[in-house]
Amino acid sequence: MIEVQHLTKRYGRVTAVDDVSFRVERGEILGFLGPNGAGKTTTMRILTGYMPASDGRAMVAGLDIFDKPIEAKRRIGYLPEAPPLYPDMTVREYVDFVARIKGVPSKERKDRVDTVMKRTHVADMADRHCAKLSKGYKQRVGLAQALIHNPDVLILDEPTAGLDPKQIIETRDLIRSLAGDHTIILSTHILPEVSQTCQRVVIINQGRVVAVDTPENLIARLKGAETMFVQVDAGGADVLPVLGAIPGVLGIVASDQRGVVGGFEVESERGTDIRRQLARTIVDRGWGLLELRPMRMSLEEVFLQVTTEERPDEPTNPAETITPAMVEPVPGVDSHE
Amino acid sequence: MNNTLAIARKELRSYFASPMGFVITGLFALLFGWFFYAYLSYFVRSSEQMMMGGGTPNVNQHMIAGLLQNAAVIILFVMPMITMRTYSEEKRSGTIELLLTSPVSDVEIILGKFFGAMGLYAAMLGVTLLYVAILFFLGNPEWKPVAAGYLGLLLMGGCFISVGLLVSSLTKNQIVAGISTFAVFLFLWVINWIGESAGPTGRQIVSYISITEHFDDFARGVIDTKHLVYYLSFITFGLFLTAKSVDSERWRG
Repeated sequence: MIEVQHLTKRYGRVTAVDDVSFRVERGEILGFLGPNGAGKTTTMRILTGYMPASDGRAMVAGLDIFDKPIEAKRRIGYLPEAPPLYPDMTVREYVDFVARIKGVPSKERKDRVDTVMKRTHVADMADRHCAKLSKGYKQRVGLAQALIHNPDVLILDEPTAGLDPKQIIETRDLIRSLAGDHTIILSTHILPEVSQTCQRVVIINQGRVVAVDTPENLIARLKGAETMFVQVDAGGADVLPVLGAIPGVLGIVASDQRGVVGGFEVESERGTDIRRQLARTIVDRGWGLLELRPMRMSLEEVFLQVTTEERPDEPTNPAETITPAMVEPVPGVDSHE
Repeated sequence: MNNTLAIARKELRSYFASPMGFVITGLFALLFGWFFYAYLSYFVRSSEQMMMGGGTPNVNQHMIAGLLQNAAVIILFVMPMITMRTYSEEKRSGTIELLLTSPVSDVEIILGKFFGAMGLYAAMLGVTLLYVAILFFLGNPEWKPVAAGYLGLLLMGGCFISVGLLVSSLTKNQIVAGISTFAVFLFLWVINWIGESAGPTGRQIVSYISITEHFDDFARGVIDTKHLVYYLSFITFGLFLTAKSVDSERWRG
């Protein structure tokens, strides 16, 4: 549905997006992840036809956005980082105006406006001026605007930014419910969002794609060893050597979690489950076992690993889709306006 | 065409959604009214003298022509306030991103904005017709020269609007846009003053460039194709440059 090939964007001497390629299949939700200034917004602006690329192509629904901008734009709904609202229009006037310029036939227009306002939960504010809306409502009116012409492709730049937790959940549910009919690209720098909403993730850093995969695979691929967290009430006895002696344990450190007494992180070989031995050892000693759980590497750690650690001249991690990040720092160009 | 209409409607609505449209229309009507009064009392006095001398005073020639020429000057001051926000505001608030990612061509957007501003301007001129109606009520001026004068005002305003759009498309700061537009207008107005000291060829060239110079014939009630061509090509050229400016902005990012 969306195909990006070798996309590059230069602003003078600064390269904001550098040779980015990826595909999104019909009905899929793709998460676009990266630190601020990584080139997410620039890539999205190119995809939506707001600005041309310096190099490479972007195809939306089989149409080149540069060669056939009008036809391609008909199929795209776009929510920019700041919802593009006209402060002196009411919500209904605004959505109606967008319906007109997006080419919604005049017969269907009123119905579409009503449906979309209901779907994005802004119908109760229909007659309020956009300037007087709260941040959460503005964001949802922005979403209504992107949905009004029922586009095949939705491009959402940080759709949950500035929302409160309840609104974030509602918005995510809405986005998930849109998948299937629509192909969605959503950008964010909030990691849990990606694992909760997206089927695939593109991690972008300093203008380059550093990883493309499902959230689960990314986490699994980068995990070298299993780590268990145990909390033990040993009554003052020395726990470290005892647990360290269990077969299969590679290393053990006292946990540095705040407010936790007697917590340890036990690292073991991948594929071996040492929970039984851990529990038995502790119970046999007459200590109290307060907590035992596997520590998952979160997407956050994956993200930090792929966006900060690697250098081109060092051997990289085993995942083959992960390419080295650039070394030269690129000044923030994501929010250049 | 539909897109242009939708954008023009939106522009026109936004002028009157804030007090701005009303303030501009009101101030314009007030200034026009003051000039109207001044010209009327002058006309009454001079026509008495003229009648004593055996001449026939002509409302069209001795009053309306001068009044419309002064209206042109008021427009020159008021117009930057109308056009300064057209592009600047969209760029500042980011709504330009909505327009440029919609299935609408640049030309449709520019024409929409142009006709939106023309709509407000036509409404302003419409209000001043009330004053002129008083003349028709109390005297019997000819309507054709008046119509020609208003056509001239519309065309001249169109030129100002096309320049205003161009300047507004160059910056995201409304104030900068307003002041620059005003400077350009003022320059186009006073350019023929320089011409007076230039040689005969220089004077001809300079007076041809001056926007207000072309209005004089309209004010007198003469519709000359020369001036029509000038105004229409001026408007087209201004809108063309605006399109280029919007396009180059896109490439620069």
